[in-house]
Amino acid sequence: MTTATLKAPARPRAKRGALRGGRGLVGVVLVGVVVLAGLLAPLLAPFSSQEQIPGANLLGASGTHLFGTDEVNRDVFSRVLYGIRIDLFICLVAVPAGALLGGLVGLVASQTGPSDVVAQRAFDVVLAFPPIILGIGIAAVTGVGVLPVVCVVIGAEVPLFGRLVRAATLKVRELPYVDAAESMGASRTWVLRKHVLPNILDSLIVQLALSASGAVFISSAMNFIGIGVRPPEPSLGGVLADAMAQLGANTMYAVGPLAVIVVLVLGFQLIAQALVAARRGEAS
Amino acid sequence: MTSYVLRRLPSLGVVLFVSSLLIFAVLRLVPGDPATALAGANATPDVVEAIRKELGLDRPWATQYVQWLGGLLTFDTGRSYLIGGTIGALVTDALANTLLLTGSALVLAVIAALVLGTVWAGTRKPWLDNLLTGANTLAVAVPTFVMGVALILVFGIFFPVLPTGGVPRDGLLANPSITFQYLLMPAICLALPVGAVLTRYVAESLRTELAQPYVVTALAAGVSRRRVLVRHALRNILPTSLTVLGLQTGALLGGAVLVEFTFSWPGLGLLIERAVTGRDYPVVQVLLMLSVAVFAVLQLLTDVAHALLDPRVRLGGAR
Amino acid sequence: MSTTLSRRTLLSGLAGGAVLLSLTGCASAVDAEGSGEPQEGGTFLGAIGSDLVPANFYTNSNHGVTTIIGLVFESLVHYPNDSLKAEPRLAESWTISDDGLTVTLNLRKDVKFHTGRALTSDDVKFSLETYADPKWNGQLKSTAAAIKEIDTKDPNVAVLRLAHPLGNILDLLEIVPIVDKETFAGIADGSKYVGTGPFKFDKWTPNARLQFSKNPDYRVAGRPYLDAVDIAVVADATAQANQIRGGQIDYAYGISNLDVERLEKTGKISKIQLTGAETQIYVGTNVTAEGLKDIRVRQAIAYALDRERILAEVFRGSGYTANLPWPKTSPAYDEKLNSTYTRDVAKAKELLADYGKKVPTLKYNYQSPSPLFEATAQIVQANLKEIGIEVELEPLDAPTFVAQLIGGKFAGLWTTYHSWAQYTPSTLTVSAYPFNALKNTSHFSSDDYTKHADAAWKQLKGDSPEAIESYAALSKDLLDNLFLIEIAIIENRWAVSERVKGVGYTKRLELVLTDAQLTG
Repeated sequence: MTTATLKAPARPRAKRGALRGGRGLVGVVLVGVVVLAGLLAPLLAPFSSQEQIPGANLLGASGTHLFGTDEVNRDVFSRVLYGIRIDLFICLVAVPAGALLGGLVGLVASQTGPSDVVAQRAFDVVLAFPPIILGIGIAAVTGVGVLPVVCVVIGAEVPLFGRLVRAATLKVRELPYVDAAESMGASRTWVLRKHVLPNILDSLIVQLALSASGAVFISSAMNFIGIGVRPPEPSLGGVLADAMAQLGANTMYAVGPLAVIVVLVLGFQLIAQALVAARRGEAS
Repeated sequence: MTSYVLRRLPSLGVVLFVSSLLIFAVLRLVPGDPATALAGANATPDVVEAIRKELGLDRPWATQYVQWLGGLLTFDTGRSYLIGGTIGALVTDALANTLLLTGSALVLAVIAALVLGTVWAGTRKPWLDNLLTGANTLAVAVPTFVMGVALILVFGIFFPVLPTGGVPRDGLLANPSITFQYLLMPAICLALPVGAVLTRYVAESLRTELAQPYVVTALAAGVSRRRVLVRHALRNILPTSLTVLGLQTGALLGGAVLVEFTFSWPGLGLLIERAVTGRDYPVVQVLLMLSVAVFAVLQLLTDVAHALLDPRVRLGGAR
Repeated sequence: MSTTLSRRTLLSGLAGGAVLLSLTGCASAVDAEGSGEPQEGGTFLGAIGSDLVPANFYTNSNHGVTTIIGLVFESLVHYPNDSLKAEPRLAESWTISDDGLTVTLNLRKDVKFHTGRALTSDDVKFSLETYADPKWNGQLKSTAAAIKEIDTKDPNVAVLRLAHPLGNILDLLEIVPIVDKETFAGIADGSKYVGTGPFKFDKWTPNARLQFSKNPDYRVAGRPYLDAVDIAVVADATAQANQIRGGQIDYAYGISNLDVERLEKTGKISKIQLTGAETQIYVGTNVTAEGLKDIRVRQAIAYALDRERILAEVFRGSGYTANLPWPKTSPAYDEKLNSTYTRDVAKAKELLADYGKKVPTLKYNYQSPSPLFEATAQIVQANLKEIGIEVELEPLDAPTFVAQLIGGKFAGLWTTYHSWAQYTPSTLTVSAYPFNALKNTSHFSSDDYTKHADAAWKQLKGDSPEAIESYAALSKDLLDNLFLIEIAIIENRWAVSERVKGVGYTKRLELVLTDAQLTG
């Protein structure tokens, strides 16, 4: 493992290879299909996500309405397609933001003893609250909306990336040749740039894929318990939550968003697994 | 090692203290207070004032905080504003339900991990390997509440054979076979992700174990593969598997919140949801402190486990 | 190898067998079969959606409280569900003096609390005075506070002296449950409920269950028929629907109207339409907000609302559309006035054109989570978009919503229920906060409205011609000013199984089982 993490230059190609076949490819395809469906929603969706179709109250699945209609006469299929967008948006904004923030905190804090302790304990405090509880609390203060969801995802990611970067930094700086370089007068930034960053890059990428999966989970869960995106804007978890009150009338209403959430988190998970496997394959 | 744990203890205290301040302050920043929650939509402003006075919410925050902290330290947590009864009794009841749920999930997860993990490691059939890999990935990836909705759809709506939520009227102890049915869906939901992680760990460790010289020797001596697997390899990996299981406890407790919400299971997760919705300060405060304490201790144990594995963490911290 | 195998087989066999046994076998958690034989006594099994909140004893705001009050307590007088003609209950007769300032109540002499103690005028005094304490949040506390003094010299006669005539004094006497002075502390923490009603309170298990047993000394001979009542708290509506479908419960309070409809189609379950205990759904307006300041904008909104659709799709037609709060059973109900504003998009646009300016985007608050409010708000949003008013939805959790409602903090529009219009009309304007003439959520005030509300309250008799005239003046104020725009009057529904007969209710949605019987 240690020897593998030192062979930085060979890695990027291996990474891409991991996603060219097997589960990596399946993951990419699954995520790709959902992302495309979300991006192309205006072309694919037969109706607007907010159009209330006169008389179409809680219809079952049919040719016109693949997932039926909801309690205010909207086409559920179209709402699911548009709903993908907000979940992806949250992933795209919150995960990199959390990674960047967490990574920076981890990196900076690990430079001196006291700041390291403070950062560690701060991470402990954040990790002590399960994300959903954190979400309930933040939403109670800010009101429901996209903002609390983004906050919670960032809050959940910061300690993860912070700890990851910190551990890697400490590990690299223990290495004899880095130690030697430092004693010969190499600057800290030089060490960080030349040795720390390349060495944690692959674990960062894996963590990013896992975090994307986690972010979809958190955002759909928060929408599910009604503290996320505001109506009438559709979100995957929100559509699923609304469907829960209408299970007896239109079951496809629940099945549709459910399937999309599963495909999305599964895709991210497969990508992460393929990346881990590729790294491991290299090590052996 | 002891010195490492001792060094971490004061910071555990700091984490708890800072959390108590945070919890107290954030709760009071939330719009709406217990008085408005109790008063309801038909009340008038003077009613809200009267209730506020009755609950002692008109006293300064500092007084309220000190009183709460004093209560915590003397284990006198007071009464719920919203739900009748002492907080001790409420929390104990909910805790028992949560423990029953997580305990059942844990048992399910362990059984699944031992059985499926062994099968997975031992199989030489590609289709079975692929099936287990797929199922495992799915179980790790699918959010608990999504699985919950799926189960409710199948066993509550399409084939209404299982109760979709709540607990039996007579309580959980009166009739085990009824309790079992109420417990089945939420427990499966909660067990799946943890069980999947554990299964994967067991399978991978077993594979590593199977490459050990003693296994090769045993196989060469004519001991059956299944016997080697179950009798020797499995026994050898049990201790580390237990550690991994321990590390999953946090995930299990966090997942319980959503599962309880989905299945209306009256445990700590549902209690905290109801308490937050009713701005039941004393209950929310105690539950959050409890959660912080549990997770902080789990965090400490995780770190200790890591320290055992990596001497650099134990000795240095940052240089 | 063989030992391992067999152990595993045994284990899986056991697990599978247990599942099969419990799914198909004798004791299922989702199905229960009735014997088909008529029963003497028996236990009535029900489910309610929201648990008791002890501090809300006088507010009728959760299913737990309405269940307890309906079964355990009685009031001095009683209104039938379809009128405001008071009937004797704990008071066998009463007189109101000509000046309207003295009410004399003659109590029944055969009434005993569940503790065995006889009811006296002291208990009446205690009950009414407690109700007037603001901390108990009684809806008619201003009416109760207008009682200056209660004379209890005769234990069987309570004489109320009023500060001024109260047109709704009988409402108060019908609403306030008469409690046992000696055990009242138990009500505050939910441990003890002692009344004079047909059932005795046994036990409350928070979040789970309310248990009652027959009061053998009930003042009506031969009642109640039932031996016991056992009500579970089942917050999950789907679970409730499955339980009543499977025959595990005979009564469900908390199933959506749509699911009640679906259950009715099985032929084994019927609905109880709670006529006389109506709630109203409305759109409130902040009359100081930009745009909403102008009456033409508020009128445009009133014309734009698709009340028929909201009633039909969100509430499954359980009620009727409305412009005024009064239900059909109210003396203030006027069919013509009630249809002043009906959907007319052209007219709404015309009014906005007349107004001339662009109405800024309005915030629209409602309580969440609630599928009914959410659907209503989204339909209203679409209706207003049609006439060119943009609305931004902002769901709030219950305490935040109430804090803003009471604090008058809504920036634009809001939607919620109100109630208490099923009583004497003046009760609404002196109690329900959104209607309060002196200070209300809409920041609306007018001398006329204040004067008319006060005049209606101080009527000698709540149903006299003069009183009805005063209600007409109130109705006119409401329609002219539109600070609250009514959508519909909603009748709630309960589901009961075919096994039970005689389930009743009061105007406050309380469960009455005095005459209820199990048939099989």
